[in-house]
Amino acid sequence: MDAFLTSRNVSDILNGLVNGVVFGLVGLGLVLIWRATRILNFALGALATGGAYLGLGLLSYNVPFWWCFVLSIPAGMLLGGLTERLLVRPLYGKPEINPIVAMVGLLFLIEAVIGSVWGTQQRSILPPFSYVDFHLGANVLKLSPLSVFQISTALVLALAIGALFRFTNLGLQLRASAVAPEVSRLLGVRVGRMLTLGWMLSCGVASVAAVIISSGFISGLTPAGMEGPFAAGFIAAAVGGLESPSGALVGGIALGVLEQFVTDYFNPNLVLPYTLLVLIVVLMIRPHGLFTRQVVRRV
Amino acid sequence: MSDTPRSTESDPVSSTVQVRRRSAGRTLVRLGQPLATTRARHPVLWRLTTTVIGVSIALVLSGTFSAFTDYLLATGAAMSIVILGLSFLTGFSGQVSLGNGVFFGVGCYAFALWSNHQSNSSIPEDLVVATIAGALAGLVVGLPATRLRGPYLAGMTIAVAISFGFLIDQFSTWTNGDQGINVQGQFTAPGWLAHLIGSSVSSPRATSMWGADIVFVVTGLAFFLMANLFQSRKGRAMRLMRENDVAAELVGVSLPAARVTAFVVSAACAGLGGGLTTLVATTVYGSTFNLALSIEILTLMVIGGIGSLSGSLLGGLFYAYSMTWIAQLISGLGISTSSNLGSQMNNIIFGALLIITVLVAPLGIAGTTRFVISRQLARWRSPN
Repeated sequence: MDAFLTSRNVSDILNGLVNGVVFGLVGLGLVLIWRATRILNFALGALATGGAYLGLGLLSYNVPFWWCFVLSIPAGMLLGGLTERLLVRPLYGKPEINPIVAMVGLLFLIEAVIGSVWGTQQRSILPPFSYVDFHLGANVLKLSPLSVFQISTALVLALAIGALFRFTNLGLQLRASAVAPEVSRLLGVRVGRMLTLGWMLSCGVASVAAVIISSGFISGLTPAGMEGPFAAGFIAAAVGGLESPSGALVGGIALGVLEQFVTDYFNPNLVLPYTLLVLIVVLMIRPHGLFTRQVVRRV
Repeated sequence: MSDTPRSTESDPVSSTVQVRRRSAGRTLVRLGQPLATTRARHPVLWRLTTTVIGVSIALVLSGTFSAFTDYLLATGAAMSIVILGLSFLTGFSGQVSLGNGVFFGVGCYAFALWSNHQSNSSIPEDLVVATIAGALAGLVVGLPATRLRGPYLAGMTIAVAISFGFLIDQFSTWTNGDQGINVQGQFTAPGWLAHLIGSSVSSPRATSMWGADIVFVVTGLAFFLMANLFQSRKGRAMRLMRENDVAAELVGVSLPAARVTAFVVSAACAGLGGGLTTLVATTVYGSTFNLALSIEILTLMVIGGIGSLSGSLLGGLFYAYSMTWIAQLISGLGISTSSNLGSQMNNIIFGALLIITVLVAPLGIAGTTRFVISRQLARWRSPN
């Protein structure tokens, strides 16, 4: 058993889980916004980085890690809410390209603003967990207290979001305004408020993802640090069909593990090209993703 | 020359419409009176004349500018071809690409590698290689476009743009990574040109002017070809596809073929622009081709006006001078260029311009100007 748990393949899987849950959370954030507003939020990675910088920037003032971590969530939510109110709301009902272009502009702007305030050099964040891997006898199990913290945080958050949507009155309102905004409005749901809340939730989730990815041993916060995870998270969500939150999460985890295998067996430079290939192949076979039903278009 | 995607002027039926005008309770009906249009009788000849005049003016002016201005304008003209390609893709076939910086990069590398490898190759040959290389990259990226729509496609191209940097690293034996490639055997100006501006053949001014002149001529050629493509049967089919793909399919437009064709044409333009840029810049650095470049190209297209020839030229001009202007702005505001804010000012301004343009004037400079002029003309024609 020990030999199996410390084998090369299992090590790859365990190593890939951390990246995987991050991709899953980013994908989850994309799906939340896509379902509610039919907008693909290209700025999600940058908004999340902004939230993480706002929260973790407090580390410089000797604020404990836990406070910074917790504060980065409302910071990301605030950025998301502001984006929806100020930038996205005027673009509802406009041609498809307008929100795409606006979100890309926001991505550019936020990364540049972060760079101009905090600089582009990497800021390392050391969470109060050991990054030394557990040992099984003489062999190394590729899990450390830090990675257990990272993975469990992400999974707990995803479950919390799922429970919010599934079991609460608020979640019902959120789902209703995404599926049938007109009917929901007639029944007294504040649809506009729900859309803003959806954006806030999405950016809060993504902020946690940004904190997780930047709290590793060698990784740290950089303004463009979420570009790669955003691309992978988008691929995960698109493979799942951009409609299914659980599909995005599972897809993200699978993608993270796959990337670890590519890094280990082939070449780290080819990770993103390979994942792109997966996306293209899946979408060539099933254009609407793996986890959604084919929608008949009305002419 | 009409280059708006929504012009109804190319429709022969609507050029002689019934003009119904209500004034003081009476209804005036005029039959068969043609509306004043900008449509020429021989459109191709008209476009050719415009192009030749425009290029001639640029060539004459290039002799009066300094070497640096010539260089700036040449990079701007090369970039305007790239913008035109993206403008065609977005404005005509309705697809958004955030990866045209990749095709631009492929053109740059193809030009540099081919001209270094084939030491006796001519400049036109190198440019053709760059264009073909760009088109091939466009074919590879564009094939999934037969199945993907709007945001899916944009997301895929953004992933392509991000992964291009990794590919450059992976093939560093060819690309030489961040050290970059120098183009060997720089071109020299012919004797008569140096004689004309009264300097020696090897002077930087003659070299710079000759490079700019080559770029201007090729840019004129590219714009002429694209202007014809815009108004051709293919171009009209693509416009229909953008407005309503089901209707396009019903009248016999093959959607997958049209989508891939648009991608290939757009990428060929980007490749040609990359080749021309490498011709005048003579170096290629791997770090140039990041996501920011693709977004800059998108910004320039949106600011100029999507699907517009004049908008693409404006975008190229803006690109040529944006760096100088932003440097002046930074020094004017008293910010150090090495400070965080100074180094990020370029991206802040581009990002903000992109957002402001989408919110305030989504038609861009060219489209908004055209809209304002046509509204004024309509008011002037019917004074009540």
